[in-house]
Amino acid sequence: MAFSMATAASSAAAASLRRLPAPASSSCSSRGGVRFPPALLLRPRSWRVVSSVSAALSKLSEAAPVPIPQEPAEALPGEDALPARPGVYGVFDPAGDLQFLGISRNVRASVEGHRRKVPADLCASVKVAVPEEEAPDKSVLTNAWKSWMEEYIAATGKAPPGNVAGNHTWVGAPPQRPADLRLTPGRHVQLTVPLEQLIDRLVKENKVVAFIKGSRSAPQCGFSQRVVGILEAHGVDFASVDILDEEHNHGLRETLKTYSNWPTFPQVFVGGELVGGCDIISSMAENGELAALFQK
Amino acid sequence: MGVTKEDVESAIAAALSPSHLVVTDTSGGCGASYEIEVVSEKFEGKRLLERHRLVNTALAPHMAEIHAVSIKKALTPAQAQPQPEPAADKPQA
Repeated sequence: MAFSMATAASSAAAASLRRLPAPASSSCSSRGGVRFPPALLLRPRSWRVVSSVSAALSKLSEAAPVPIPQEPAEALPGEDALPARPGVYGVFDPAGDLQFLGISRNVRASVEGHRRKVPADLCASVKVAVPEEEAPDKSVLTNAWKSWMEEYIAATGKAPPGNVAGNHTWVGAPPQRPADLRLTPGRHVQLTVPLEQLIDRLVKENKVVAFIKGSRSAPQCGFSQRVVGILEAHGVDFASVDILDEEHNHGLRETLKTYSNWPTFPQVFVGGELVGGCDIISSMAENGELAALFQK
Repeated sequence: MGVTKEDVESAIAAALSPSHLVVTDTSGGCGASYEIEVVSEKFEGKRLLERHRLVNTALAPHMAEIHAVSIKKALTPAQAQPQPEPAADKPQA
């Protein structure tokens, strides 16, 4: 069991390396409490652990930390400390606790990416090891990563927080569609404000709202589907409301028709104002008006 | 019997006095689904939404029997003339 989990984690890391071109951020994960088989220990190879010369990969605990400036505008330490080359790295918080163990085709770019994305109180310093060869085989990198991970787990009994499955602080979450918005908690709840007011608040609080038939991930009407498709194609960050959801949006269909003075669905609101339905959104997408509208 | 193509045409013609009007019955014979292209001076200075509202209002008496109306084009005569760049200069809402 432990063996198959370890294999899965390492093959995921290997796959991500294969998929990603040169200056890509790292992507590897391991489950909490994962154990790596001792048989996978590193072959002796020439490694340059930054700030210390060593023929083989040094231990994580023995590598020298490179400070990451807290000020985002401040440049990272020089290329000799933080090379733009393939390697493994561990990011430490100010208390010196390992937060994330990464593997990358460009360590410097990955660290720069983390620094921009991750809260500063998790990124205080980084330990880096890069193989001497210009283009190391990916197994060299995964083995090094495993070796450091094993060492850390042996010492602490757990994986670094950022490497635990489900933690998306360091490696991006898989692309996910946001959930549809709901007007009410449920049909049984007695509303204290009129539905119009809820609609009004919803369309004014969200820049772009699409009232559609069905959910945004599975629209139940061709026109709604087209509108969702157009908005997504324009890269619009929009909220969606399923008007067919009788449980959470009971009465919305009729009330919205009156509110917007528009007879059909879907309906797309931008900045609190109805822009139109499928026909209008389609025409606007064709002649470029839609792109202009969302650029503002 | 539902609404005929002629009903739709005359309703829009009466309300919008269009310079160009094409109504296509897309229902396959039952008269419940139409595609419409309109060019009218009355659209001048109006947003697409408002133009569609004018068309919908014109059709309101028939709407109960029409299942679907798709307004393909709602242009002003000026926009209808230079085909290459329709509505490019129209101010945003």
